[in-house]
Amino acid sequence: MKTTDIERTRMDQDDAKLLAAYREGDSEALGVLVEKYKRPLFGFILRFSEGREDADEVFQEVWVRAIKNMNRYRQKSLLSWLFRIAHNLMIDRVRRRKFVLSLDTPASEDGMSLGEQLAAAGLGPDSATGGRELGLRIEAAAAKLPLEQREVFWLRMQADLSFKEIAKIQKCSINTALARMQYAVSKLRKELAGEYRELQETGI
Amino acid sequence: MKMKKLEKWLLLEASGELSPRQLRRLGRELAVSEDARILRQELGRLRGSILLPAIEPSPWTGSRIAARLREERHPALTVTRALKPALALAACLALVAGILNFHGKQTSSASAAIVAAAGVDVWSDPLEEDMSRLESQIAAISGDSLDTMEM
Repeated sequence: MKTTDIERTRMDQDDAKLLAAYREGDSEALGVLVEKYKRPLFGFILRFSEGREDADEVFQEVWVRAIKNMNRYRQKSLLSWLFRIAHNLMIDRVRRRKFVLSLDTPASEDGMSLGEQLAAAGLGPDSATGGRELGLRIEAAAAKLPLEQREVFWLRMQADLSFKEIAKIQKCSINTALARMQYAVSKLRKELAGEYRELQETGI
Repeated sequence: MKMKKLEKWLLLEASGELSPRQLRRLGRELAVSEDARILRQELGRLRGSILLPAIEPSPWTGSRIAARLREERHPALTVTRALKPALALAACLALVAGILNFHGKQTSSASAAIVAAAGVDVWSDPLEEDMSRLESQIAAISGDSLDTMEM
C-alpha cells in the first residue's frame, strides 16, 4: 500500500468517527468535517455556480444531502461522495438555467469577476511570481471547456480525485473520464500555446 | 508507445492508478524517450500552476448547515414555530366564536322551550277533543255513562 493510500484510509477512518460522533449528537464533529473539506469542495462548486452566494447555497445543500443520506454512503472517501452530490446538484441547476459560466461575469458586488476572485490568492505548489499570471490563463482557458471536460479537469487537477472516483461521479467508465481529461489537456495546450511552451521549456 | 497512450498512462501515474507492471513499463519508456519525459514534465507543471481558490464559504456556513439539519430532523416543531402567530389568532377566533355561539344557544334554547310548551298545548288539544268524542261515542253505544263503565 502506498503512503497516499495509507493517509487516505486513515483520513477516511477519521471521517467515519466524526460522522458517528455527529450522529450521536456532537454538532462540533460536523463543523470539523465541513472545515476539513471546505476548500476543495467550495472551490469546485464556485467554478460551476453563479457567484459566491450561489456557491454558498449549493455548498450547504451538498452537506445537508450528504448527512441526510448518510445511510446510503458506501464509498471509501467522504470527499468523493460530497463531490458526487455536488455534481448532481450542479447538473440539475445547469439544465434548469441553461447557465453558461463565464469567468468574466461579475460575480461580486465590487464587480470582481469570478476568475479574479478564484485567483485572488493561493497558488499551487510549484507556483512562483510569474505563476499567478499563468494560473489565471489556465483558469480562463479551462472555463471555455465543455462542462464534462471542465469537471474532469478540476476534479483531477484541484480536488485530486482519482479517475476511478471521477468516473463514479460522472457515471461513466474510467476510459471515458480519461478521454475527457485528454481532450481538456489538448484544448488547453492549443488555447495557451505560448505559455504552454514555457511550461515545457523553462518550467515555472 | 504512442503519444496518446503515453499521455493516458502519465495521467494514471499521477493519480496513482497504474499497476506495478504498467509502472515498470512506463519507466522504461521514460528512460528511452525524450518526448515522453517532456510530456510528463508538462503535465506536472500544468498541475503545479493551478491556482487554489482564495474564496472560502462564508464563516456562518457551518452553523447554517447544522441549523438546516436540525430543522430537517424536527420538521413538525419548526412548522409549529412558524405558524405560532397564526395558531394564536385562530385560537382567539375560536374562543370568540364559542362565546357568541354559547349566547346564541342560550337564546335559542329559551325560544325552543316556549315552542316546546306551545307544541304540547297544540298536541294535547286534539287529544282531549278525541278523548271526549270517544267517550261520548262509547256512552251513546252502551247507553251507560262512562263513570258506570269505569266502575
